[in-house]
Amino acid sequence: MSTEIAPGEPIRVLLAKPTHDCHDRGVRLVAKKMRDAGFEVIFMNFLLPGEVIRAALDEDVHVVGISTSSGGHLPLFGDLLAGLAAHGRDDAVVIGGGVIPPDDEKTLRSWGVEAIFGPGTNAEQAIAMIKRRLATVSS
Amino acid sequence: MFDDATLARSREIGSAWEEAYERLVAKFGDAVLERATNATTHSGIPLKSAYFPHDVDDLDLDAIGAPGAYPFTRGNLAAQYQLMNWANQPVIGYGLAEDTRARMDMLAEQGMVGYFGQRFYNLVYDLVSHEGLDPDHPAARGRVGQCGMGVYSKADMARLFAGMDLTQMNVVHITYYQVVPALAQYVALAEERGVSPEQLRGNTMNWYHQSAYVGMSAFPPRQGHKLAVELINYCSKNMPRWNTTNFFGYGVEEAGGTAVEEIGFMLAYGIDLVDACVESGLTADEALVRFGFQIAQANDFFEEICKIRALRRIWATTMKERFGAKDARSMHVRIHTHTSGAVLTAQQPLVNLIRTTLHAFGAALSGTQAMEVSSYDEALAIPTEEAATLALRVQQVIQEETNITSVSDPLAGSYYVESLTNQIAGAALELVQQIEAQGGYIAAQESGWLRRKVEDSAERWRDLVDTGKRTVVGMNKYQTDEPPTANLFKIDPEAEAIAIKRVEELRANRDHGRWERALASFGQAAEALATKDYSELDGSLIEAAIEAARADATTGEMMGALKSALGWRAPHEY
Repeated sequence: MSTEIAPGEPIRVLLAKPTHDCHDRGVRLVAKKMRDAGFEVIFMNFLLPGEVIRAALDEDVHVVGISTSSGGHLPLFGDLLAGLAAHGRDDAVVIGGGVIPPDDEKTLRSWGVEAIFGPGTNAEQAIAMIKRRLATVSS
Repeated sequence: MFDDATLARSREIGSAWEEAYERLVAKFGDAVLERATNATTHSGIPLKSAYFPHDVDDLDLDAIGAPGAYPFTRGNLAAQYQLMNWANQPVIGYGLAEDTRARMDMLAEQGMVGYFGQRFYNLVYDLVSHEGLDPDHPAARGRVGQCGMGVYSKADMARLFAGMDLTQMNVVHITYYQVVPALAQYVALAEERGVSPEQLRGNTMNWYHQSAYVGMSAFPPRQGHKLAVELINYCSKNMPRWNTTNFFGYGVEEAGGTAVEEIGFMLAYGIDLVDACVESGLTADEALVRFGFQIAQANDFFEEICKIRALRRIWATTMKERFGAKDARSMHVRIHTHTSGAVLTAQQPLVNLIRTTLHAFGAALSGTQAMEVSSYDEALAIPTEEAATLALRVQQVIQEETNITSVSDPLAGSYYVESLTNQIAGAALELVQQIEAQGGYIAAQESGWLRRKVEDSAERWRDLVDTGKRTVVGMNKYQTDEPPTANLFKIDPEAEAIAIKRVEELRANRDHGRWERALASFGQAAEALATKDYSELDGSLIEAAIEAARADATTGEMMGALKSALGWRAPHEY
């Protein structure tokens, strides 16, 4: 199980943003703050969810975070969750950020997206959530 | 500006004030010391707590001048809102062409008006089009008509403007990098209706330079730069009333940059662009008269006003002194204000109406030419009809109830405003020098220097917010438990299926032979452009694009040809 973290092993996070979504100020800052917190962070832009799934498998990450502020989040997360599960990686912690209306957030949570960090939240909250969540797994 | 006796007296008055100020602050001690002695603007420019004549003693009265007089600090024209109010330019676009058309008609009915009562439409394309795709591409799923209108062909363009007289309006096409197909489809539609390109008025964005700080896939910087010059070249010969290029300062601030970075980047890019246009055979005046700017109006009230006054001054002096511009219009900074979206909050969204009103008020004081006021629900979803109407009302109240429009540049002569204008101009020119020392804007874009600069500023600001040193009402202070906002706008889920059906029908019914030939020629023109230098640019790519649009080539097909010829990459790959 990849979300079990060996002592001294850094938490590996994949942060991804659709290429046509210009609102990357938040997620770029989150990537920087996560690196400052000692996480290994891969940042990518993507056109299709398959690219994210491939990167998550190749890099064997513990966390996959998608930032989206321009709609299309429901099919995107749907494909991502299904793709990870199909490759036996439904243990990965999937989180989201950006502009996601509350109704859709409820839907995404019911599918297994563990947290949505929308406008007004900060990087520290996401970092704390990941540490808490992965500590539970490895203990 | 002041004689020696006045300056000497000013210093005496200033010293007396300073002593009184320090005594007062000392009484309250450490509790207020930070705030009372270390104020800075959002750009980090140190502020005094009061200003005097000697704070502007290095300023020549001619540098301030008069409205309409070089260097245009006080505005482009001698008569401003007295003659012609700023144009209401709400950004419109969502769903299918006819959804967008319905919103255009609704806002026109509500009094949205351009110069001298003319129709003015500021239309934004959707994300699918921005990525240079058609609605049937797998990546389009869930995104057709999101954040803009799903218009992908001349046929969609015809639905959008059904029954309208294209000679009687001004149309702004807000694209990302699909500038060429959008213009070509518009021109091709106009031709079908017997309207020639030289009769068309409006705007293309032509802003490939924004990929320096906006995180979307883009053409490589130098190829994008050539596309920009190519379009300017075509329009200068064929579309004399068309505004070719928009300098996207707004994106610098929205991405986290400061006011100084916003105007410094724009001037640095202006220098590169005029250089390249001249190399392609245009005079500086031919290129410059059709440039415009999209500028942010954000929270730092006075800095945002002074930024605009400073930009007008440094743009005019640079274009005149460096490029020998002669036409006054070449020295003008024509501004479309877009109030900041990045400073709006999802929390207590109605508070955003107060923020946007302050932004619009500042823009009015600075002498803008056109304005989009963000809707209060923008941090949540695409604006509802109610929110879009309220945003228009903000402009109308300022224009028609406050009497602000009677006097041009009303803040001129304020010691504070003139001093801050000067400081911002100086800091921006210093930034331009730093960029030029690296080989210019495009070189600094290629090296990633511009992006790093903006990201550093974004982080600096966010740290101040996270540590409570800068207040965001409702977010890091005065929070309340609130129910989520009801009544958010949603795109009709049927739009995607309809858009796909339409593009399939278009492909099945068009003259296949003509389409194939036209798209092949366009592809060859793109391949040729890839290896051209600036001196070889002549507008032929745009002519080929218009022929492809006549033959019903879609945005995705035309962008596919450009991407394969010029290269296309994710924003963080260089």
